Parts: sequence; structure tokens; C-alpha cells
Amino acid sequence: MSWLDVAMQGGIWALEILAIAVPIALSVAYITYAERRVIGWMQIRKGCNRVGPAGLLQPIADGLKLFLKETIIPTTANKYLFVAAPVMALVPALVAFAVVPFGETTLFGFWEETHVMAIANLNVGVLYVMAISSLAIYGILMAGWASNSKYALIGALRATGQMISYEIAMGFSIVCVLIMAGSMNLSAIVHAQAGEYGFLNWYIIPLFPMFVVFFISGCAETNRSPFDLPEGEAELVAGFFVEYSGMWFATFSLAEYAAMILISLMTAIMFLGGWYAPLPADFPVVGAFFDAIPGTVWLLGKTSFLIFVFIWFRATFPRFRYDQLMRLGWKVFLPWTLSWIAVIGMATYAGDISSNLTWISDVIGFWQPWR
Amino acid sequence: MLETVFFYLFGGLAVLAGMGVVLAHNTMHSVMFLIFCFFNAAGLFFLLDAEFIGIILILIYVGAVMVLFMFVIMMLDVNRAKLREGFLQYLPMGGIIAVILLVELIASASSGVFVSDEMVQAVHLGQEVNNTVEIGKELYTKYLLGFEVAAIILLVALVGAIVLTLRERKDAKYQNISAQVNTRKEDRLRKVKM
Amino acid sequence: MGASYLANEYAPIFVFILIALGMGAAPLVLTMLVAEQNPDDEKLSAYECGFEAFEDARMPFDVRFYLVAILFVIFDLETAFLFPWAVVLDQIGIFGFIEMMLFLVILLVGYIYAWKKGALQWE
Repeated sequence: MSWLDVAMQGGIWALEILAIAVPIALSVAYITYAERRVIGWMQIRKGCNRVGPAGLLQPIADGLKLFLKETIIPTTANKYLFVAAPVMALVPALVAFAVVPFGETTLFGFWEETHVMAIANLNVGVLYVMAISSLAIYGILMAGWASNSKYALIGALRATGQMISYEIAMGFSIVCVLIMAGSMNLSAIVHAQAGEYGFLNWYIIPLFPMFVVFFISGCAETNRSPFDLPEGEAELVAGFFVEYSGMWFATFSLAEYAAMILISLMTAIMFLGGWYAPLPADFPVVGAFFDAIPGTVWLLGKTSFLIFVFIWFRATFPRFRYDQLMRLGWKVFLPWTLSWIAVIGMATYAGDISSNLTWISDVIGFWQPWR
Repeated sequence: MLETVFFYLFGGLAVLAGMGVVLAHNTMHSVMFLIFCFFNAAGLFFLLDAEFIGIILILIYVGAVMVLFMFVIMMLDVNRAKLREGFLQYLPMGGIIAVILLVELIASASSGVFVSDEMVQAVHLGQEVNNTVEIGKELYTKYLLGFEVAAIILLVALVGAIVLTLRERKDAKYQNISAQVNTRKEDRLRKVKM
Repeated sequence: MGASYLANEYAPIFVFILIALGMGAAPLVLTMLVAEQNPDDEKLSAYECGFEAFEDARMPFDVRFYLVAILFVIFDLETAFLFPWAVVLDQIGIFGFIEMMLFLVILLVGYIYAWKKGALQWE
């Protein structure tokens, strides 16, 4: 392979990566718009409707305004870390998308076999997402510490405490999915949910409690309401990014919303059957129609619905108190997920323990393609 | 060819980051250099086909252990002048250790083990070998004792951490959420005959 | 695994990290060039409610944050052991399953201890 080939290959990858990263940045802008409209609708008011038709240009106006704001770096702040923090927050949020499979394609018949639409189809995809998204803590901790402001420091500490507490419950619920699928490759997890019964093959059916735990933990991981204590505007004014202004502040928001998209995508992939339609192709009336819709559209549709649920949470639930939040993570989710691992494992091997219990293994085996 | 380039990139950056850890004036910067060093070490693991170990290095060391480090360092009030006081006192001891290490490194580098041909280029595993699956098959069938001892060590660490750091506050009031949720109407309501 | 796996799957991640760094840093640099900068002392001081920020904000904080961090490290290690186990559960048989249950029971003892001692109780 010559240097020219290397440069060519690098250019192709760069285009692929931009084809994922730029839409993420744009969809973040329009999720803020959707959030304002949806919450407005839920609270029987209009939301933003002035800039452009139905307020559709509002996110662009917001972005432009933030871009033209002055950059303030406090004199008492630690310059290096203060400057590095927004980048440190954004990079993991974007890089985590590298392993997400957005669907399968033959490129309209150009390729012989189907290819998975992911930048990197890693064998350890799930672990990669967990490892990279846990790095978001550093952007927050650095922002809080470097600002040299009490509000920022307290916000950063709260954020860290809550993110590490819920990461454990998240990890345990993922372990349940891995037991069912028998692989850490994200596209293999989706393939394991294929079947002739449509949505009955999805992991949300046997692992419904884990789905709930994963999604709520994701809510806490991304510091979304009702877990937005680190930002608690009534007490901490804005939390860890109180000293940031303009585009620098927007970078943190960008990272937060990108993390929200990532959690929604992961939930859709691991529990809601990824790019598969909810009804089998031979289902009367709608089956053929559902089958004709491309898988990527299904995946993004499921993701959009989950993002809507995030917004719905924000409009519905009051904020947690910190001791209640810690209790939920450590005393409710942790034992619950841990016992579910034991239950799923035991059900898998029930037939080996006693032949009277073989039916349990058969039932769980429906979702375990490797059995 | 490209692999060699990446090896020298990750290796070189790891060494530079390691020097940064020692030489940085601000302890917070040291932690950042250490995190960067771990990333480069993970990169080296990936080059060796050990993807599970590489990812676990990021997940455990960078994602968990360094957060703890950062908490400790954020709380410590490091007084540099005070740290420098004992410099001359510890110099002979530290110097001896450094010299011994240097001699050992030179001795092992010149021993001839690292120049034999099979060591120069490690052979990649086959395409179908899945690193994680191989580790799992070995760890959970052959190494029962080591695995359970790991559990005991973790248990000791857990108990030790609680014993050392937990200071119960007597004046704190707790909310018993399960008691609140399980309240029946008879507990709160009393019918009074008028 | 193998050399082609490394080149096809890990090299793009390296490129992605570089592009993400660019995407993170470029707006921050551009906004400083485009937007009008007009700093003054008051603007650049740390935020406080109505009075001057009079001391270093980096104060000691509750020891419970450390305890949570230590517990997190321990349970995160436990997840690290669970991940490969879950993947190969079909290949290690009932022996491997019981082995992991023993592991979990040992850690469960520690968890119950932490609960009873009140280490999980935030005040």
C-alpha cells in the first residue's frame, strides 16, 4: 500500500465521518427547536414561532447569536484547562458514534453482500460506547474546576457523582443484553433480534425492566431533567458551565444533546430491534409496506421517538433531590439489574439443572439465537 | 509500515505524556497527562490485537480510577514550597533507585533478547479469532481460583474503603421512601365520631 | 482480528478523533476572531451573587464523593468481569455460570455491608 493509497483511504473515511458528524450537529440544533415546541405544546402555549415559518429558523438564529457573543475567560481561571474543557466534552460525545450501525445496505445492489453502515464495526462495540461516553465526565470536571467558581465546582461534583452512580446500573443492564445476544458487536446484537415474529423478537420483551433501567440511567448520564441537578438553575445558576459564554457554552450543550442522541440510538439498537420493522413482512395488509421502508428510517424513527420521550420526561417530572437520586441509582437499580442478570443466566441453564425446567430454557431460548 | 508509524506515534506520545506527568507544575495538569498516557497505552494494545484489554484500560483506568484520582487531587491543597523542602534529603535515595533502574533497562535492552528476529514483528491473529471470546473461554473455565480470589480482593477493597472513609453524621435526618410509599390510609386518617 | 481488521476498524476511529478535535476547536477559535472582544475587569471576574469573589473557590468537599468514587471503581471492575462472561455464556457451560454466581455472591456480601453501614445513604 503506497502513501497515496493511504491518503485516499483516509479521505474516504473523512467523508464518511463528516456524513455522520455534521448531521448530528444539525439535528442537535433542531432537537432544541423540537424541545421548545413540544414542551410549549404540553404546557398549552405556542413555543418559538416567530423566526421563519413556524419558527423553523429559530435554531439558526440562536446559533448565530451565540457565535457573535464575546468570549469571556475569567482572570482567576486556569487558562489551559478552561480552554480545553469544551473540546474535551465534545470529542467523546462525537467519537462514540463511530461504532453505531445506522443500518445495512448493498448500496442499491452495487455490493454483492450487505454491509453494515458503521464507521467501525468493532467486536467490542458496546464496551467502546461505554468507555468513550464515560469520558464525558472529564470535560465537566475540568470545566468546573478550571472556572474557579463555587457554582461551577459544585455543579461539576454533582454531575460526576451522578454519572458514575448510574454508569454501574447501565453496565449491568447491558450485560443482560449481551447474555441474550452472545456478542458485543452492535450489528450482531441487532441481527440477534431478527426473526419471523417482528417486535416479539426484540429484547424489550424479555428484558423490559432492563430497558427501563437503561433508559432512565441514560437520562441521568446525560444530566437531563429530572436528573438535571448539576445545572439546577435555581441554586447553581447553570452548574459547571456558569463561567462559559457564547459559542463555548454552546459546545457543552452540543455535547449534552449529542449524548442524548447516542443514548436513544443505543436503546433502539439494543432493545427495540435496531433497523428491523416491528411487524414481519408476511403480516397482512401493512407487512409488505413496512418491509419496503428502509431499515435506517426505522432506526432513526425509533431514535426520534425516544428523544421525544426524553423531552416528555422534562415536561412531566419535577427535579430529583440529590439523596433521592443516589438512592435510586445505588439501592434500586443496582440490586434490580444484578438480580436480573442472575435470573436470565439461570433461565438459560434451567434445562441443564433439571429436566422438569427445560420449558424455561425453551422460552428464553426464543430470544437466544445461539442456543 | 503504517503499523510501525503508529507504534512509534503511540509509544512516543506515551513517553512524552509520562514525562509531562512528572514535570508538570500543576497537579491537575499531571492528571491530564496521565490520562493521555493511558490512551496511548490503549493504542499500543490495539496494535497488539488485544482490543479487549485496550478498551478495558480506557473503561477502568481512564473512566473510573482517574476520576477518583481527580477527586483526591482537587481536594488536596498542594503547597509546592513545602514539597521542595525535603528535596535534598530524599535525593540520594531517589538517585540510587533511578540509577539501578537505568542499569537494569540498559542491561535488558542489550541482552540480545529483543533483537532476535521473531521478536521484531509480532504475528497477527487470524481474522476469525475474537479476542474477547478467547479471554472469556480461558478465564471462566481454567482460572477458577484466580477469578474468585479477585472477588475476595474486591470485597476487601470495598470494606476497607468504607471503614476508612465513612463518618456517620448523627444530626442528619433521613427520608425513608419505602415507608412513605407503603403508607396506608389507616396510618394517616382517623375517623372521628361527631 | 488480524492486520486488516486493525486497518479497517480502528484506523477510522483515529481519523474520527482528529476530525472531532477539529470540529470542537474550530468554532471556539472562529468565534474569538469574529465576535467583538471588549474585556474589562468586572466582566472577567468569577461569578458571585452581588459581592466580590473573595477567596479561592476550590474548597474541600464532602468525603462522600470519594466513597462513591471508590465504590464506583469496584463495581465497574465487576462489570468488566461480567462483559466477557456474558458473551461466552453459551460456551462455558453451567460450570462457568455457577462460577460467576459465586463471584457475584462474594461481592453481594460487600454490597450488603455497604448498605447496612449507611455508605449508600446520602445525607
